[in-house]
Amino acid sequence: MVLLIKRTPSGILLILANGFEILDSEEERQSSYDSDPGNEEDTPAEPTSAVGNRYLQQNASDSDDSEEQKRVIRSAKDKRFEEMSATIDQIKNAIKINDWVSLQESFDKINKQLEKVMRVTESERVPNLYIKALVILEDFLAQALANKDAKKKMSSSNAKALNSMKQKLKKNNKQYEDLISKYREKPDIEVSNEDEDDSDQTETMSDNESEVSSDSGSDTDDNPDVRDLNMIKKKDTFMDKEFKKDPRDITWDTVNKKLKEVVAARGRKGTGRVELVEQLSFLTRVAKTPAQKLEILFTVVSAQFDINPGLSGHMPINVWKKCVDNMLAILDILNQYPNIVVDDMVEPDENETQKGADYNGTIRVWGNLVAYLERIDVEFFKSLQCIDPHTKEFVERLRDEPLFLVLAQNVQDYLEKTGNMKAAAKVALKRVELVYYKPQEVYDAMRKLADLSEERDDVESEAEESKWSDERRAPPSFVVVPEVVPRKPAFPESSRVFMDTLVSLIYKYGDERTKARAMLCDIYHHALLDEFSSSRDLLLMSHLQDNIQIMDISTQILYNRAMAQLGLSAFRNGLFTEGHSCLSELYSAGRVRELLAQGVSQSRYHEKTPEQERLERRRQMPYHMHINLELLEAVHLTCAMLLEVPNMAANTVDSKRRVISKTFRRFFEISERQILMGPPENVRDHVMAATRALSQGDYQKAFDLITSLQVWKLLKNKDAVFQMLKDMIKEEALRTYLFSYAAFYSSLALDQLSKMFGLSESTTHSIVSKMMISEELHASWDQPTRCIVFHDVGLSRLQALAFQLTDKLSILAESNERAVEAKFGSGLGGGGLDGLPLRRRDAGDYAAAVGSGGGGNRWQDSQSYNQGRQGGSTMGRHGGGGKPFGPGQTSGGGGGYSRDRTGQTRGTVSYGGRHSYQSGSSKMDSSARMGYTRAP
Amino acid sequence: MANPPIRSFLQAAKAEEVAPALRVVQMEGLAILKIIKHCKEFSPALVTGQLLGLDVGSVLEVTNCFPFPNREDDEELEAEGANYQLEMMRCLREVNVDNNTVGWYQSTLLGSYQTVELIETFMNYQENIKRCVCIIYDPSKSNQGVLALKALKLSDSFMELYRSNNFRGEKLREKNLTWVGIFEEIPIKFSNSPLISAFMTELEADTPVAQGDLDRLQLSTKPYMERNLEFLMECMDDMSQEQQKFQYHYRNVARQQTQQQAWLQKRRAENMARKAAGEEPLPEEDPSNPIFKPIAEPSRLETFLLTNQISNYCNQINGVAGLSFNRLYLMKALHEN
Repeated sequence: MVLLIKRTPSGILLILANGFEILDSEEERQSSYDSDPGNEEDTPAEPTSAVGNRYLQQNASDSDDSEEQKRVIRSAKDKRFEEMSATIDQIKNAIKINDWVSLQESFDKINKQLEKVMRVTESERVPNLYIKALVILEDFLAQALANKDAKKKMSSSNAKALNSMKQKLKKNNKQYEDLISKYREKPDIEVSNEDEDDSDQTETMSDNESEVSSDSGSDTDDNPDVRDLNMIKKKDTFMDKEFKKDPRDITWDTVNKKLKEVVAARGRKGTGRVELVEQLSFLTRVAKTPAQKLEILFTVVSAQFDINPGLSGHMPINVWKKCVDNMLAILDILNQYPNIVVDDMVEPDENETQKGADYNGTIRVWGNLVAYLERIDVEFFKSLQCIDPHTKEFVERLRDEPLFLVLAQNVQDYLEKTGNMKAAAKVALKRVELVYYKPQEVYDAMRKLADLSEERDDVESEAEESKWSDERRAPPSFVVVPEVVPRKPAFPESSRVFMDTLVSLIYKYGDERTKARAMLCDIYHHALLDEFSSSRDLLLMSHLQDNIQIMDISTQILYNRAMAQLGLSAFRNGLFTEGHSCLSELYSAGRVRELLAQGVSQSRYHEKTPEQERLERRRQMPYHMHINLELLEAVHLTCAMLLEVPNMAANTVDSKRRVISKTFRRFFEISERQILMGPPENVRDHVMAATRALSQGDYQKAFDLITSLQVWKLLKNKDAVFQMLKDMIKEEALRTYLFSYAAFYSSLALDQLSKMFGLSESTTHSIVSKMMISEELHASWDQPTRCIVFHDVGLSRLQALAFQLTDKLSILAESNERAVEAKFGSGLGGGGLDGLPLRRRDAGDYAAAVGSGGGGNRWQDSQSYNQGRQGGSTMGRHGGGGKPFGPGQTSGGGGGYSRDRTGQTRGTVSYGGRHSYQSGSSKMDSSARMGYTRAP
Repeated sequence: MANPPIRSFLQAAKAEEVAPALRVVQMEGLAILKIIKHCKEFSPALVTGQLLGLDVGSVLEVTNCFPFPNREDDEELEAEGANYQLEMMRCLREVNVDNNTVGWYQSTLLGSYQTVELIETFMNYQENIKRCVCIIYDPSKSNQGVLALKALKLSDSFMELYRSNNFRGEKLREKNLTWVGIFEEIPIKFSNSPLISAFMTELEADTPVAQGDLDRLQLSTKPYMERNLEFLMECMDDMSQEQQKFQYHYRNVARQQTQQQAWLQKRRAENMARKAAGEEPLPEEDPSNPIFKPIAEPSRLETFLLTNQISNYCNQINGVAGLSFNRLYLMKALHEN
């Protein structure tokens, strides 16, 4: 029925309007609040039957204009109808001669004509003529299919046409199923009415239309104005009615019944969500017992959650506030009547809420405080996500934060009181998550705001209260619950204290996820307060980085945020290496925005589905929680620069070998490739320019370039950090200088160096000494003259080659051993050569070849011999030069070398047949050993 | 009895087969000088030429040679080269020089001659000339004051293997062929006509020191060593690649074996079931099954050649290092004096 009404608006609307009148009158008679105005469509049978009748008449009048063939002047519509009826005649003829081919053609034709007719009449209704044709066709088809013999006799083309017709018709008729069935029921009506309606058809049409235009709004679901009008009317009647009654007449039962009704209507189509909430909140006022009030309040809150349908939008702010109020009211009740227990596990008894305030036993009410609280939090979060952060609205919204904190605090207190510590931990986490990202200043501001708004609220709320009551003529509540729980947030002085209390509670009682999140928040907060070491210790002790991969995405985001904050904190403390290692991972893939959930990055290669995009958008952090990305980038690149510049200078030969920051290297290569170097614009440009200056030893320029970045003003105690940065840059400049130019000096005076880089002599001394100790600089101090004496120990080409060769040999030997192991297993204890197949002997041969191929060994012999002649100092240098030649060599000449070689044992591989081919294996040993000692 | 002539021919062939193995390559001074000149002139580039001579019993006499034109990798030129060769032979015959091809010579760089190409060339020559030899001259080594001349031939067992193109492990074991046994070095004997010898004695200078002796005292061995090391390293890289191939092969074999085992077990269980049901057991071998197809073993040839080269480099380094020591000691003694 509903379908019909919708499909044929022109004919039916009038009738519906009539039906509606009936409805209204009925309702008045019943004087009950039965039907919600939203769903009149499925109300009593009486009006609909009328609808049906009228509809059929209307139908008839619609279709028969096609019959009037003898008209002189024909409208386009008439012409179409005429064509259609002609086609039907054709169909009939084809049926007579059982010609399915032409039947099929006609069917296609009539379908095309139908389209035209529909266009001309501009109605959505299918003309009866067409339906009639369909019915005829269907009947004939059934007949033809039933008659198997005839079917067999058919020509092949005819049979084919029949089959295709069968399918087509089946598909086509599905659309008009109800119409057809109706037609089948009462084909006679149409016939009888045919003649009458002929003449005044057009007239009726126009009449209909005019009426339609006047009434159109009253019944369509889509017109909210009118519906609201209705709604208000209805509610007024309801309220008035309730008012008329003596309050004492309202019993628990009536309220309970009403509640059930309202709840039942919830979620049904056409039920206004806002109205539902209003009805329910009215009911809260007339509730008889506290338990009932509580129950109704719970329904109100959940109905309020329903007001916003989609997942993407957020709850309207005023509703949110009311929701919070309701929650507070719930808490009031719960605190007032401790015998009422909220539970979502068991379905409470039907009449549990009947028990009055004076009832002694426990009263169970269904509800879940934590879930509601979390939902409220989510809505708050979502609203912040959605609101444009640059508007006043956003700031206004942020002011509601204390409100939530109060609520959360109260809920937590209540839960703690009832001993539900696990839930309390969850609530505590919610509170933590609102505070963790606030530095002390912001926290103070929030406290102040909370105090201020409290005072203001008092005044305002009173005024509002009176306004409210005036407006709504709300009756005083039956169950008056005083405001038991505090409406004022109680914040401790320092945010750290606040965090500590909450976090320790969570650590004690929370589940895994809650604990992990709390831990991350704690880390973040510590880092925010510049307590880098404690923050780092927390992170390392918790082992969060080991299993963060398997946690949910929002926790991962939180982890990333904590890492970013940790990096910033390290930077502020002057720990640039640590800062870099914190941040490098975030920047390695170039998706830092995504990782921190602070905006969506567009990827060229990977097209996201809308679903993914929506999910991602829902994960975004609200603006006020953002970590400044520019600052983060500046910190990251600066740290990387300080590490990479000396590193690059140290490894000029094979720079690919040791890369500290790949990201930085890439940026640097890109900027190196640029032909024209403009003045730096963004953060990266600045750092790159500084890098260039630094690698030339121009520390002042580098420092100036770095500090000229605007973004540093966001940094806490900027001056101290700058001082540290400057020292660091000087130091790294000195190191870079030494790396790059040490080869060109034979000695260098200390005071010269310290003057060059503006460093104190002791610092310079310590830096240079450090470099000497860590073998980065082949030099020694000459104390009396306060000079650095450089030793030319750069590898000759031959030496370098020899080292490369030993590397390769060790690789080869290792893989050889692996091959042998794979073949014979590793436990080859003392087998000797005889029992082994030839391949093994081959390996021995080969080992011998490799051994003698280790020309490096022999060569080293001669080398060490040479050096031995030149003097002990060079030997010592070599021994400690990061290129150990094996202890035997440094101790003496060739003799020691060979002795050592044979005495060498290796733990990694047990060579069973060692004695049998000692020369081979021992040679291999020594060559491999060189490789091992080289690779630390 | 039916066809004795054929048998006798076969016997004749056999008799020829048993002909004394090649013991010495006897080279004319002229040929050597020509080779040295040719190779040295084109020094960094590698050149080749034809050897002409006579095969006399266990001695192969190389009496003359001529260079091939420098080939640039072009097919047209290759045909031209063949023409040139024929033309050259014809010309030489006309002036009554031995025009019997007995092999070829080629220059090398630091002894990096053990390649597949050399083997292929050798096999080509071998098809036509039963007894052929390859003379290898290393100009870079000769700079050290040594006459780096080598006469090589492939060992018979290797050639046999090469013809069947089977370098799998078991076959090699069967033939007892190792990398050492691929090439055979044949001692070279110099011979000059008495007239030339007499003339040389006449020419001999009064000073006992020749240029070669002075060369031998050169102290700078660095470039030579470096080159050797570089080549050695390349060999190492190639070697590890070969090794990886083998590792890959072994992995595959192991995988196949486990597959086979699994299949066999399944088949056995099936057979048990069939036996219980009274049916004929299925065969335990299924040649059509792809998991029983043997995996081709990678050829060992490349590895063998590489090993050869490596040992060659090592020997060279050894030799040079040893000589350097001698020189250094000498220098030390000189200084002390």
